[in-house]
Amino acid sequence: MNNLRSRLFMTQSLRIVERTKAFFTEIGDLSFFAWRFFREVFTRPFEFQELLKQCYHMGNRSLLLVGVTGFILGLVFTLQSRPTLMEFGAESWMPSMVGISIVREIGPVITALICAGRIGSGIGAELGSMRVTEQIDAMEVSGTNPFKYLVITRITATTLMLPILIVFGDAIALFGSAIIENLKGAVSFQLYFNQVFDAIEYSDIIPATIKSFFFGFAIGLVGCYKGYFCKKGTAGVGEASNSAVVYTSMLLFVIDFIAVFLADIFFEI
Amino acid sequence: MKKTASQKLKLGVFVVLGTMLLIAALYSIGNRQNLFGSNIKIMSQFTNVNGLELGNNVRYSGINVGLVSKIKMINDSQIIVEMLIRESVGKHIKKDAVATISSDGLVGNMIVNIIPRESKKLPVVSGDTIQSFSKIGTDDMLTTLNVTNENAALLTADLLKITTKIIDGKGTLGLLINDSIMARDLKLAVYELRKASTGASQTITELKDIISSINKGESVAGVLLSDSLSGQKMKTMVSNLEQSSDEIIEVSKNLNVVLKDIKEGKGALNYLANDPTLVNNIDSTMNSIKEGTYRFNQNMEALKHNFLFRGYFKKMEKQKKKKNR
Repeated sequence: MNNLRSRLFMTQSLRIVERTKAFFTEIGDLSFFAWRFFREVFTRPFEFQELLKQCYHMGNRSLLLVGVTGFILGLVFTLQSRPTLMEFGAESWMPSMVGISIVREIGPVITALICAGRIGSGIGAELGSMRVTEQIDAMEVSGTNPFKYLVITRITATTLMLPILIVFGDAIALFGSAIIENLKGAVSFQLYFNQVFDAIEYSDIIPATIKSFFFGFAIGLVGCYKGYFCKKGTAGVGEASNSAVVYTSMLLFVIDFIAVFLADIFFEI
Repeated sequence: MKKTASQKLKLGVFVVLGTMLLIAALYSIGNRQNLFGSNIKIMSQFTNVNGLELGNNVRYSGINVGLVSKIKMINDSQIIVEMLIRESVGKHIKKDAVATISSDGLVGNMIVNIIPRESKKLPVVSGDTIQSFSKIGTDDMLTTLNVTNENAALLTADLLKITTKIIDGKGTLGLLINDSIMARDLKLAVYELRKASTGASQTITELKDIISSINKGESVAGVLLSDSLSGQKMKTMVSNLEQSSDEIIEVSKNLNVVLKDIKEGKGALNYLANDPTLVNNIDSTMNSIKEGTYRFNQNMEALKHNFLFRGYFKKMEKQKKKKNR
């Protein structure tokens, strides 16, 4: 009995060690992948056409989803906050509160999570299926650098497009919030946006914008990594797509935490 | 290829719009923080800035006109607050304006309020230092409140002692509240007072009626007060009386002179008035006359009964009787 227990304990311990090892190996692989990106992004040839195509697919095609989500986010956030602020008689603080919350935190994080779901999983599935169908291998054979053509263009596109998507998302969310304030609190649009811009400072907008580049980079990096190193078979594609979303979401929160921490140091928020 | 061109156009619009939105937001924020306009720098010296921070608003007559750009501590009791004010507003702020630090609302940020004064001094220029005024801070208010609380506690303790004494029936108030006899007396007194007030009320009503009748001119007083003819007569009477009194005064003056002359003069009247011997003589003479008259009456009575004159007196009586008939 005692022997069985010790064997079970050993098996569990080995499994944990294996998983930890796999986790650190994956992080190491991801770091090498990121390093390879930075090494190759500034070297010729530059795949501008593919980059523009990816920017279009990741930016323009995500705008509707980001816009609708942002609008509902602003609407719901204002509706939910109103009663609490009304209890304190602080309804006039609504524009500044919503403005700061959306610009600093909620807008970038929610938009990044939506993009992680849409873009990250898309990249993972696309590259995964290319790996499974040996298209990537074929590209290597034909002399095209698949990393440059597939990975660098996608990561660059997500890095550049996400900040713009976040700006749109923030603006639409604020517009949604202004509509509720206009309908429920009889606050004019001019007054609402005046109060929002009175409250927001550069120390709010600059860290959020810098953070959004990192969010975009993380979405592209994890999506490409998961797809590029996809396991064989159709199950591998699904797993790549799924794990791309999960890992990206986790990484987004880690980046957000670091960003807030650094912003607190440098901007005294 | 056609599809790619369309995609490029859409992407271009997307990127340009997004960038413009970001730039507009950045410009709007910067504009509100007076980063793009021309500003003037003015200073004010405080002893306590009550948590004022860089970037807090500066208000002049309730309008946001700038920001706090620097807070510098000179020594343990002097803090210089530097403010960036929009140049367009600077010409309205006079050199004798006063800066105070207050809170924007009950729980709002701290702000610097520049209060204008009614003067014709020159407007401030960059680098000027304006006067400051330290308002009472929250700490001071809390200290005052603390003292008030202590006083309130003392007052409550005293009040408790007083109420205990009252409840125990000690002192005038205690007696007043607890003594049933006094309460009954008081009740009676109140009853009497009520009666007296009722009587007074009736009297006032009657008086009112009288005054009303006087006003209407129904009584003598009313006629006197309201009739203009009587008034005129009265006026004439008073005038005559006045004249008469003047004359009386004149006469009395003359009389005084006469009396003085009589008193001081050497005539018969003075002798008559002032000589006591003469008065005695006259008195004795009058007594003699009185006695003489009495005796004369006796003689006359004797004559009536005398047989020589009795006939004459009878005749006189008969004639008198006839006349009376």
